[in-house]
Amino acid sequence: MNYGFIIDNRKCIGCHACSTACKSENEVPLGVYRTWVKYVETGTYPHTRRHFQVTRCNHCANPPCVRICPVTAMYQRADGIVEFDGDVCIGCKACMQACPYDAIYIDPETHTAAKCHYCAHRVDLGLEPACVVVCPEHAIIAGDMDDPNSEISRLLAREEVVVRKPEQGTAPKLFYIDGNDAAMHPTATPRTPTTFMWADTIPLHPDNGHHGGGPSLVALAEQAAGRSAKGEPIRTPGPQGLPQPGPIQFGGKVAEHMVQVAYNAQHQIPWHWPVPAYLVTKGIGSGIFMSLALGVGLGLFAFDGLTAIVGGLFSLLFIGLTTGLLVYDLERPERFLSILLRPQWKSWLTRGAFILVGFTLVAGLWWLVELGGALGIWPGLAQGLRPLFLWLGLLLAGGTAVYTAFLFGQAEGRDLWQSPLLPMHLLVQALMVGSGFLLLLDLFLPMPGEMVQVLRALFGASLVVDILVTLLGEFGMPHASEVAAQAAHEISHGRYRHLFWWGSLVVGHLVPLALLAMGGAFPAAVAALAAIGGLYAFEHAFVMAPQEIPNS
Amino acid sequence: MSNDANISNGSKLNRLFSLFRGAPQEPEPTEETNVAGQAMPQFATVDRAPQPVEMTTVLHPDGRMSQYPPPEHWDDWVEWDGKLWPKKVARHYTLVPTVCFNCESACGLLAYVDKTTLEIKKFEGNPVHPGSRGRNCAKGPATHNQIYDTERILYPLKRVGKRGEGRWERISWEQALDEIAAKMRESRLRRTDGIMYHVGRPGEDGYTNRVIQAWGVDGHNSHTNICSSGARLGYAIWSGFDRPSPDHTNARVILLISSHLETGHYFNPHAQRIIEGKMKGAKLITMDPRLSNTASMSDVWLPTWPGSEPTVLLAIANHLIQNDLYDREFVRRWVNWEETLEAVRDGRLAIRDPELRAQIEDLRTPDFALFDRVLKDLYAEFTFERAAEESQVPVERIQEAADYIARCDGKLATHTWRSASIGNLGGWQVARCLFFLNVLTGSVGTPGGTAGNSWNKFVPKPFKTPPPNTVWSELLFPDEWPLAHYEMSFLLPHFLEEGRGTIDVYFTRVYNPVWINPDGFMWLKVLQDEEKIRCHVALTPTWNETAWFADYVLPMGHAGERHDLMSQETHAGQWIAFRQPVRRVAMERAGRKVRFTYEANPGEVWEENEFWIELSARMDPDGSLGIRQWFESPYRPGEIITVEEYYRWIFENSVPGLPEAAAQEGLTPLEYMRKYGVFEVKQENYTPYEREVAASEPRGETEAAKPNGSTPSQASMAGLRAQGFDIDERGRILKDGQAVGVMVDGEAKVGFNTPSRKLEFFSATLYDWGWTEREYTIPWVLKSHVHPDHIDREKGEMLLLPNFRLPTLIHTRSANAKWLYEISHKNPIWMHPEDAARIGVETGDLVRVETEIGYFVDSVWVTEGMKPGVIAVSHHLGRWRLQEHQGVNPGMSNLVELQHDGQGGYRLRVLHSARAWESPDPDTKRIWWKDVGVHQNLTHAVHPDPISGAHCWLQKAVAVRRAEPGDRHGDVFVDTNRSMELYRQWVALTRPASKYSPDGTRRPLWLKRPLKPTPEAYRLPTEKRQEKIPDPA
Repeated sequence: MNYGFIIDNRKCIGCHACSTACKSENEVPLGVYRTWVKYVETGTYPHTRRHFQVTRCNHCANPPCVRICPVTAMYQRADGIVEFDGDVCIGCKACMQACPYDAIYIDPETHTAAKCHYCAHRVDLGLEPACVVVCPEHAIIAGDMDDPNSEISRLLAREEVVVRKPEQGTAPKLFYIDGNDAAMHPTATPRTPTTFMWADTIPLHPDNGHHGGGPSLVALAEQAAGRSAKGEPIRTPGPQGLPQPGPIQFGGKVAEHMVQVAYNAQHQIPWHWPVPAYLVTKGIGSGIFMSLALGVGLGLFAFDGLTAIVGGLFSLLFIGLTTGLLVYDLERPERFLSILLRPQWKSWLTRGAFILVGFTLVAGLWWLVELGGALGIWPGLAQGLRPLFLWLGLLLAGGTAVYTAFLFGQAEGRDLWQSPLLPMHLLVQALMVGSGFLLLLDLFLPMPGEMVQVLRALFGASLVVDILVTLLGEFGMPHASEVAAQAAHEISHGRYRHLFWWGSLVVGHLVPLALLAMGGAFPAAVAALAAIGGLYAFEHAFVMAPQEIPNS
Repeated sequence: MSNDANISNGSKLNRLFSLFRGAPQEPEPTEETNVAGQAMPQFATVDRAPQPVEMTTVLHPDGRMSQYPPPEHWDDWVEWDGKLWPKKVARHYTLVPTVCFNCESACGLLAYVDKTTLEIKKFEGNPVHPGSRGRNCAKGPATHNQIYDTERILYPLKRVGKRGEGRWERISWEQALDEIAAKMRESRLRRTDGIMYHVGRPGEDGYTNRVIQAWGVDGHNSHTNICSSGARLGYAIWSGFDRPSPDHTNARVILLISSHLETGHYFNPHAQRIIEGKMKGAKLITMDPRLSNTASMSDVWLPTWPGSEPTVLLAIANHLIQNDLYDREFVRRWVNWEETLEAVRDGRLAIRDPELRAQIEDLRTPDFALFDRVLKDLYAEFTFERAAEESQVPVERIQEAADYIARCDGKLATHTWRSASIGNLGGWQVARCLFFLNVLTGSVGTPGGTAGNSWNKFVPKPFKTPPPNTVWSELLFPDEWPLAHYEMSFLLPHFLEEGRGTIDVYFTRVYNPVWINPDGFMWLKVLQDEEKIRCHVALTPTWNETAWFADYVLPMGHAGERHDLMSQETHAGQWIAFRQPVRRVAMERAGRKVRFTYEANPGEVWEENEFWIELSARMDPDGSLGIRQWFESPYRPGEIITVEEYYRWIFENSVPGLPEAAAQEGLTPLEYMRKYGVFEVKQENYTPYEREVAASEPRGETEAAKPNGSTPSQASMAGLRAQGFDIDERGRILKDGQAVGVMVDGEAKVGFNTPSRKLEFFSATLYDWGWTEREYTIPWVLKSHVHPDHIDREKGEMLLLPNFRLPTLIHTRSANAKWLYEISHKNPIWMHPEDAARIGVETGDLVRVETEIGYFVDSVWVTEGMKPGVIAVSHHLGRWRLQEHQGVNPGMSNLVELQHDGQGGYRLRVLHSARAWESPDPDTKRIWWKDVGVHQNLTHAVHPDPISGAHCWLQKAVAVRRAEPGDRHGDVFVDTNRSMELYRQWVALTRPASKYSPDGTRRPLWLKRPLKPTPEAYRLPTEKRQEKIPDPA
């Protein structure tokens, strides 16, 4: 058994019957959609067309939402249907980031993820999905692709079909006959238009009256600015992944005159401030431990009990805060223990949770032992176990800092996050804010001079490396995909440019470096605060920008 | 039920802390209940201990899935609860078929009624319905929204205070029946035109007409003259039937002047078959100035300037005629060409070529070759170039369309629904010119061609039919429009305003004239005048703008809450479908007794069928008015009939084949219809006009080879005479003075329901009733009121196209269907980028559109899918309410303020747009949209076509410009003095019966009329008859 869908665009008349039949069958609330019909208008009068595209979960053969789900709430049945279980879902929204097709939403009633599930409750009785049954044109064909005689298999064998975003490697099992490029390609049309043909749109950002997009899609390429070797006037190549000004080109393709979305389902950004905030607290928590452990472990400075206990306490506090933010960001926070109790081991959310727990346990145990030692309880024990704790803790702290890169890597819907630089970037950021935070503590603690020197060096060096990594991420290697390039552009030139240039680069790096250069404990402490603020600015831009790019 | 539902309210932190608070509390059941004790409007929950349930699997042995549970399982079908899935909670349903009520198509629905709670879980399609074949459009499933609408009217209401003040008291059905029946009785005793029933969506075939006829009044009024009547006249003049029934499935070319892939008569059944035809290779050609979904799916889109459609059609006709590409044999056999030649001979039809005319004058026996030359003479001027120029469409496209049509091989399926035929002055000629192509290609009633509606629609006779009434209401069919195809319904307020009459009891039924008709402020004006309309009873399933100005608001059922019998000409076959109150049927299946349908519906929502029976009986308690007898049971003499008996009699006696089919399953006919909800009367029905005239129905006979030659054989004529038929000099076969057939090539054929029994190219009727010019008597072009000559684009004038539906909306009842409104809730002005640039606006900007009588303010949607010079605004949106908490749903309407300046100026201002609200349905607080459109119809002047009587919807936009400072979205202003001026200008175009009637009657007897009165009632009153005016030609 291997269920799939064909949408036959030769027949689809855009009547939305599938949409309401689905709402009825599955009791889908207002504001969210399991299936909808996207309308795209193209052409120049009188050579104009409206393209209809039934859009929904693709029941991918290789579903990234299933891979990222920490609790097996999203799973693939043996018959190929990608199913979900709201009773299990913790509402982490990772599946929404993993889906490159905007197919998943959070149900406003249950606060858990939901999507098209192929009407599995009907299929199990031998009934076709509700959308298939209602369709006046039999434009939606459901069936077993393993059966060579099924209608879907015969059509697949005979007709030319296309899928959405095959480059994501998800192997979608929803095939379109006569799929239209402008409709399939979400970046072909201006992002979040001000209105649809018959419907209002919801701006992605409530504060922004004119519905996002902003300068990001206004391409900056200059026309005809140079000459070829043979003297012909030529155009300057534009930024990667961005259309030329004017309506002619989109998404690297030449299109007709008008390309506008006339109807689409509304999608909101799933992850907000708690995620960048968690990245910062996690960086500080793991960074403090790493800075101390590295210094002591590599013999750069001597172990200092007071610094260890106070620093360790803050490391644990920030990791606790990190966990708190993680739980808070869940739509069903009361279910957070499910991650540990019914783990799905392929998910980096699960792995990360265990790393966090592991680090918290090791660091916590160490800290208790050190505290005990300082208070005269079993001082030998602290000394004896310290190397073990240090190296084991260092490993786990590193994992804590870095694992998010792998989680982001599983987010197939956000190409910018899938950067090979990210593990390194997170590690450097952790060291940066970790060492920086210790320098902040230096204001209040008598810290050994050599330790301060090393920390200043570490802080400075990581600031410099971080600038390089950041700029490399933004402007270095061209991005692997158009959407990644657009997201990067959104950071450097779009909605998040101020956060990026002023927040991250100036406040987060240049100011701290300058303060560090001035010398002295107080400027260093201010530098640390600035770096932490700057890191939040960067993470905010980095987390939010890719979510601005539509996936449907 | 899982805990999930209980955590739906409250913040995330609440949910987090719930961990420490223990299990959440079960919510208090607070739902309202109906008489039957059933909770509404939320789907009730049932606790079911997980127990082994026997599930039926309907996977076919070859692995295919089924669409529907097989009918043998409908009584007890077990399905997994879709919401609780993947938790396996089984629900037992009884499946009750009914008929959709959300447009005129009468598609089948299948209600899933929970056997434990009697709640309706969902509506799917009825798989055995031959029209819709188990499939539906978006509006079918949305029936559930209407039934579970939290704002619906649940009980009969009577107004308190002034009309329109919005204060109501709940009354019992007893009180409503007694009070209204008393008023009707009082009126009926005084006169026979004091009661009027005005229907928007009928949703049934003939039931109410019979009731009105039983009352003995001329009181049937409809919405048809703002809808389909323009096209209807065009078809009627040709053929006697007044709607087309195209066989899209088998067509080679499908030509649409309407958007049948998204709306239209009959959207879902036709859209299915159009695409089927297209997949089999048919070419789809669509005329529409707007890129409709249909236009977008077409092989050839002809974005014609509104009103130029006949020119394009005649250019195609001319192409067929001049190049001898038409079906001469069909035209020779079935067109009244002899009569046409006579008209040429005696000068009633002018042709150019004097030599040809001379030849025709000389000829003794008619010769078809001369008719061919007449056609060539008449239409030579309709070149592709002229068509391209007038329609402003590239000439290649018209040629391409003509080429396809020339090669259609008798398989041309055509349709015009609303659009141009109800848009333009003379719009009825659009349908006539369109059908001309069917005639020329011989695609009349053929496989793949276009049939007549009456051939494919089956209306069974009820048990006893009251006689036709003897009166003629001048408020319905006034003197000025003797050929009006339907009642002059939309002019009612203007007539009342002019003092042409008054109404004692006025029923509006699923009709919202204040909102849907043009010139709504005029309606508002007369509805508030208790002298003109003494009692207004609104029969409606939902609140609407008109019901607000009623004296009684009586809640009537939606699709699953009432009985009706319907049939539509969806394809070349016949069926009847039975609408049922599904909860009532479920209760009866469970062995519970239900006397009246309102005992099973939410609140006390009733159905008209039972209401009319009870009301009519009370109107005439002792039978002295002669009304009661029509409402007495055929099974229980002297006792009042039940609705079940009414349909039982029809199913037992009037539907051929049904009793036999039922017997085969061991069911009574009524049980059969209760189970399946539908019966197929005829599977296939082609060229019925070719049937032999015979005393008995020759159904199923194969026709013998026809003899050639044009004179009837003496033998067959003698045979006919022997059977009691007469044959007149024109070859018409008469029985009891009525034409019942026509001799064609020596054979007695049934023919068409026209005076000549043939397809009438030249219409003597139009000629005789004063429309003597060529552009009226034959298929021709009439100059529209929005012809480019009347629209000065230089001065900023534009053409406003309002009359198109959206696939997701239901005229005046969409605002109770949340799933539909979520998809479509606003009606911006569609504008071509050129026009937008000219007035300096872009998508989203506000524009003020000035019409002949006022203006409205709306935002703009700029698109290349719009013809330059034309703006399009769907008149499907812009609902409003006058009170925050009563009236049309807050999420689907604007709260507005109405102002009247005392001098005829009316203003509507939006106080605020749509809002989410708290109700038992958690979805109402999730309403995320604001803009619910602009009520533009208020600003439309009435444009009654002088012949068809249809309202010509297209408007001249006197000015279209950026909104002025202070203009707000949704603003409407109208000067009703201008309204009356425009009305009088259009009345002046008419040729009244009193001046032009050829025979002293009010209207040609052969033309259709709802509830035809006796021929005596057709006589003009003597004081009205005037000297016949000489021909204007």
